[in-house]
Amino acid sequence: MPETEEKDFKCLRCSAEFKLPYTKGVMQERTCPKCGSNSVRLDRKKEKGAPAGEKK
Amino acid sequence: MMDVGRHPNIKLLTNSKVEAIKGYVGNFDVKVLKKTRYVDETQCTACGDCAEVCPVVVPDAYQQGLSSRKAIYIPFPQAVPSASLIDMESCLGTNPIACGKCADKCDKKCIDYDAKDETIEFKVGTVIVATGMDVFDPVILEEYGYTKHENVVTSMEFERLLSAGGPSDGHFIRPTDRQRPKTVGFVQCVGSRCEKIGKPYCSNICCMNTIKDTLLLKDHYPDIQAKVFYIDIRAFGKGFEDLFKRSKEAGVQYIRGIPGEITEDPKSRNLKVMVEDTTSNKIEEHEFDMMVLSVGVTPRLDMPEVQQLLTLSKTPDGFFMEAHPKLKPVDAPSTGIYFAGCAEAPKDVKDSVTQASAAAARAETLLSAGKVKLEAITSTLDTALCRYCATCSRVCPYGAFTVDPKKKTISYIDALCKGCGTCAAECRFGALTMKHFTDEQIVTQIDAHLAEDPGEKVIVFACNWCSYAGADTCGGARLQYPPNQRLIRTMCSGRVDEKFVLHAFRKGAPMVVVSGCHYVDCHYIDANRWTQKRVEKLWDKFEKWGIRPERLLLEWISAAEGQRFQKTMQDIEELRKKVTKEEIEQTVKILTEEEEKDKAKAKKKQADSPTKKKS
Amino acid sequence: MPQDDLKIGVFICECGTNIAGSVDVDSVVANAKKTGNVVYSTKSRYMCSEPGQAEIKKAIKEEKLDRVIIAACSPRMHEPTFRECVASVGMNPYLVDMANIREQCSWVHMGNREAATKKAKDIMKAYVARARYLQPQEEKEIPVERATLIIGGGIAGMQSALDLADAGYQVYLVEKEPSLGGLMSKLAKTYPTMDCAI
Repeated sequence: MPETEEKDFKCLRCSAEFKLPYTKGVMQERTCPKCGSNSVRLDRKKEKGAPAGEKK
Repeated sequence: MMDVGRHPNIKLLTNSKVEAIKGYVGNFDVKVLKKTRYVDETQCTACGDCAEVCPVVVPDAYQQGLSSRKAIYIPFPQAVPSASLIDMESCLGTNPIACGKCADKCDKKCIDYDAKDETIEFKVGTVIVATGMDVFDPVILEEYGYTKHENVVTSMEFERLLSAGGPSDGHFIRPTDRQRPKTVGFVQCVGSRCEKIGKPYCSNICCMNTIKDTLLLKDHYPDIQAKVFYIDIRAFGKGFEDLFKRSKEAGVQYIRGIPGEITEDPKSRNLKVMVEDTTSNKIEEHEFDMMVLSVGVTPRLDMPEVQQLLTLSKTPDGFFMEAHPKLKPVDAPSTGIYFAGCAEAPKDVKDSVTQASAAAARAETLLSAGKVKLEAITSTLDTALCRYCATCSRVCPYGAFTVDPKKKTISYIDALCKGCGTCAAECRFGALTMKHFTDEQIVTQIDAHLAEDPGEKVIVFACNWCSYAGADTCGGARLQYPPNQRLIRTMCSGRVDEKFVLHAFRKGAPMVVVSGCHYVDCHYIDANRWTQKRVEKLWDKFEKWGIRPERLLLEWISAAEGQRFQKTMQDIEELRKKVTKEEIEQTVKILTEEEEKDKAKAKKKQADSPTKKKS
Repeated sequence: MPQDDLKIGVFICECGTNIAGSVDVDSVVANAKKTGNVVYSTKSRYMCSEPGQAEIKKAIKEEKLDRVIIAACSPRMHEPTFRECVASVGMNPYLVDMANIREQCSWVHMGNREAATKKAKDIMKAYVARARYLQPQEEKEIPVERATLIIGGGIAGMQSALDLADAGYQVYLVEKEPSLGGLMSKLAKTYPTMDCAI
């Protein structure tokens, strides 16, 4: 069984940041707890600890 | 059972296994292996003389191994067909010199040690899957000491001990001293509602089964003291609450709390439990002569065999998945296949019979019509373009494709296609075309919408069943939203090809939304999982290319969620306003360059390929 | 490949005031007439009504239309109606398409006639563009072998088998074990009736 862990996610619609359970290889419906969007993306930058240098 | 055995329209094949099912609705070719019984079932009168002389004694599975049978036997007295069979694994030998006692004894000479298995082939229009369930094996729950403490039995074993036709001829006894127990404890939810062992679901039948067991006990032996340890008692069916009440009135004690452990007194062989009664918050100790583990229902171990034969899917609990949990609870996702009984979910007898009649009626709908209309909007395959990468067979929810990458073969049964278009969106070689929703048709719609003032418009891909319908619901309720969105309808969000999204951005769209059904609502089983994967990949690509991923959104909106559609459109309009002209121009430039790169790559590949082939 | 020699007819529905209330239907008709391949365009108070449908049928015959676009309500509402309508005069039902200018336009932009009209034109044009790629589709019908395979001879399989056999259909009932009965045959008594399981 693949391990389930809490990971950082970011909502692309309202920019909220939050943690959700994540299991590698398992597809899940993810919903932003703030705005309800499903445009929820795994926040890889935060994971690596690198500064979020977003291009304007 | 007798009615089934003698019905002129039923061909009964017992001791048999379906080996292969080929084809599709209306036209399934079935191959069944009928294993020999070594006894001619048409001649055998079930007199039992053969079993009497048989020298081999083995545990009897029908009695849960609590008593024994011979190597030649009748499974149980009321068995249908009513005929003996030889269990060849325990029989002394097919060589009559070794034993042959039963054949000598048989008056009608219907025993043949050399009988062979038979393969039977036939054609059917519909299939009903009624493969049933397995009973949870509590051995892994060490705390209950099943098999370690002999007086701990499962509810199935208890059933046999209580049966007039059981191993103790209806005398209720406990295993260690064959004495009638005076105290019996029942533990509920053994193998149900337990995350720890991967059985989080309620098995549906065990509460009522225990209530029934306690009533039977009390009816026969009013002096027996019975206690039931439970989490919740779920007595929700017709007449169920009444039985629960009767059980309590008969003196059965219900204690809300599950024992952590069952220990055995080595001398008396009695069983002891410590339990916290959660209604009084008190820790109690109880002692019993016998304990019954009310075991749950699990999917059959041999389920994968049938699953593969019919390319069925399973829900997370391991039971077969229906076409729709609410509106098509009897149909399998593939047309012409239906479920009856516990194959689909744990059920009691009444529910199994109800679903079985429903399944028969569903099958009859097709059988009586004698014909079935196939989906007109399906995928078409151009084998000349296929590179046998097998992506289509991986993504198709209906198993319409069989690809062998090594042998370079592909077979596609369009009768199985339901038209989601995921294969066409995923095929990298253009070998698959989705009828009525072709690449050209969708691209031309994008072009038309973005011909004038593209910077003001958001392209929204919407699936027919949910998000497009949700937009309709929103309109029906007159819920207003800004007029900047342009919807493009597909049957499933799975159809939304990466290239449609890129095309819209290349044509100057400030934002693109891909919308579809929530996971549970997907009308094509799980096709929208591929939508999500595709969008996630695009976000990564955008980031790499320096395009804000925030400009591509993924939204699941059900047909009922008009308000959700409205809010989504309102939010998105605010986001669109923030996309500047310069940003759009920059994106168009980046994507046009990327497209040129891709084209150049493809050209190079084409130029290289003949030489590659030679080497 | 788009077919450039096609004759496309565009029919705009007012739907009483449902569409006409927020969308300038005349200007959509005028716009349609200027759109490539469109040889005929008209409006109707209710396109789905008998007179509305008669107008479509007449135009298909007289103008020799190859494709028909109905700009009206949602296809989830009336697509079957219009498919039947065109089929009755010999057109393949997949050559008619519906541009949704009611649920997804007039009803949701009620105070904004200009923007709603602009959007309705876009939607209409997108469907005209798509119409050039529409192909006739065939709804295949295949025969159904009047027999059923039932896998499993427990209580559920037996019930299904009896129902179908009693209705006169051939049933093949396949059971892995040497006898019918399944798990239920092992039960002493069954709830809620507390009677024998066999």
